[in-house]
Amino acid sequence: MTLTIALPSKGRMKDDALAIFARAGLDVTSVGNDRSYRGRIEGLDDTEVAFLSASEIARELGAGSVDFGVTGEDLVREGLSQADSRVEICARLGFGHADVVVAVPEIWHDVTTMADLGDVAADFRARHGRRLAIATKYWRLTQNFFSTRHGIQLYRIVESLGATEGAPASGAADIIVDITSTGSTLVANHLRVLDDGIILRSEACLVRARRPEHASDPRIAEAIARISASLG
Amino acid sequence: MTHANLPDFASDLGRALESLGAGRVDTPVIQPAEPFLDMAGEDLRRRIFLTESETGESLCLRPEFTIPVCRAHIAEGVATPRRYCYLGQVFRQRRDGSNEFYQAGIEDLGETDLARADARAIAEAHTLLSALVNASLSTIVGDQAVFEAVVAGLGLPVGWQKRLIHAFGNQQALDAMIARLAAPQSATATDPDIAALLQAGDADRLASHITEVMEATGYSTHASRTPAEIARRLVEKRQLEEIRLSDAALSALRSFLALEAPLADAEAALSDFAESAGLDIAQACWAFGARVEALKAVGADLGSMTWRAAFGRPLDYYTGLVFEIAAGEGGPVLAGGGRFDRMMELLGARDPIPAVGFSLWLDRIQAARSRP
Repeated sequence: MTLTIALPSKGRMKDDALAIFARAGLDVTSVGNDRSYRGRIEGLDDTEVAFLSASEIARELGAGSVDFGVTGEDLVREGLSQADSRVEICARLGFGHADVVVAVPEIWHDVTTMADLGDVAADFRARHGRRLAIATKYWRLTQNFFSTRHGIQLYRIVESLGATEGAPASGAADIIVDITSTGSTLVANHLRVLDDGIILRSEACLVRARRPEHASDPRIAEAIARISASLG
Repeated sequence: MTHANLPDFASDLGRALESLGAGRVDTPVIQPAEPFLDMAGEDLRRRIFLTESETGESLCLRPEFTIPVCRAHIAEGVATPRRYCYLGQVFRQRRDGSNEFYQAGIEDLGETDLARADARAIAEAHTLLSALVNASLSTIVGDQAVFEAVVAGLGLPVGWQKRLIHAFGNQQALDAMIARLAAPQSATATDPDIAALLQAGDADRLASHITEVMEATGYSTHASRTPAEIARRLVEKRQLEEIRLSDAALSALRSFLALEAPLADAEAALSDFAESAGLDIAQACWAFGARVEALKAVGADLGSMTWRAAFGRPLDYYTGLVFEIAAGEGGPVLAGGGRFDRMMELLGARDPIPAVGFSLWLDRIQAARSRP
């Protein structure tokens, strides 16, 4: 059986992932030209590499159509329902750090915690004739965090596919759930992360699809061991 | 035409429903999704079947009947009181059981004798089930209004009352609120300008300071929370943070939530509790007692009914009675219902319309019938 490893197809994520694989003694080369979407690993003829976008990698892992992938934990947890039963996070790779956070307008000085937000959400309909609106592209993470973790039900998600941080100022939503690495975009938009508003501390991870045939395949444990050892 | 999953007893049940003086309504299977998400919250999104029209309107397969029936009533603008019954398919994403199944029920809109309407809903659900299922039925009854009265009686500020009421029915959230009340947090540090204005206790200047900052940072002062609203809550939060519930009040709250009694003895249990805790909840006790009397008047089997103080639903349109009827103690819930006096206005009715209703789970009833 051929093992398939999905790696990010471009940008810093690709470079960082290839560097980690190289440190583990796994030299990835593209098949054909540099822009090819297929690759191989030197000396491992029964392994192939697929270069995909980070969100496609999460989806393919969920579908079990690749064995391993390198992608952000945020994409795995957002893209897959019951992620932990479908995939295993084998190693955290130390790059691509970003937090998924709940941020409110800085001027909401009375709202510093999720409990405060719960109070505001409970009253919102009575005061404004509509539910509290959250702009995000992280539907699943938002629902889990608000509903399951904090018992906040009364809000509406406004889908945001880009420039989420601008939604409160433009009036498209009241607050946001978004990804941030340095926080500077939030500050520039006069937004503030709630004290207990970090939904997920994400980074790039080596993720394995939980496929039953892996149990009897020694290459699986070996691949994980080599990557883990190279992380030091 | 045959219908998948349509239980063999459906036509008998349909006739029984119509004999209860409720007009049969049918509602389109494809419904606008907004009202459901608006009423029940975003959590519903992953439990319904959503799609989008060509024009971008969010649509869903009917996940239940209450909201469509109430919206149809409002749209037709007919006079109340009025009773509707329904029997049809609903669609939900479920881990257990089929994604499409049947529900039947009654919505009773505009009956101003609340105790009578409540009792009728429980009794009718019970009677309909008794005709279908051989197993002994057990009914559990809760009352949001009683909890609200207890919370008000404890002398908590309105802000704290609202927090507790909002959490009612969600044990985890309620425990968290009670823990916060027992051990208040220290006041949170804010920025120095805000802290100084708060210290001075000048809400108007606080609001105008917030207005200035919002204007300077490009935030609308009316699209979302207003400066006055933020200022008011800052002041209120400061006051709430200083509140600590006395040990006596805290233990009263906890012992109330632990109360459970046969419905026939519930009023006595409630007044014993009120007396020992020193609370004045006479109005709520009276309304509770009136409902029990109304149940006796319609010949309901009180012996199979239990009152549980902590039983409620954490949705803001439920206002009073909630009940569930199960096949035996702890068995599957075959019927659920309650009073939702706030829903009609939320859905667009011009005037408040008291509303109570129940629905029967036909798939579970079918399963209960086939058990020996």
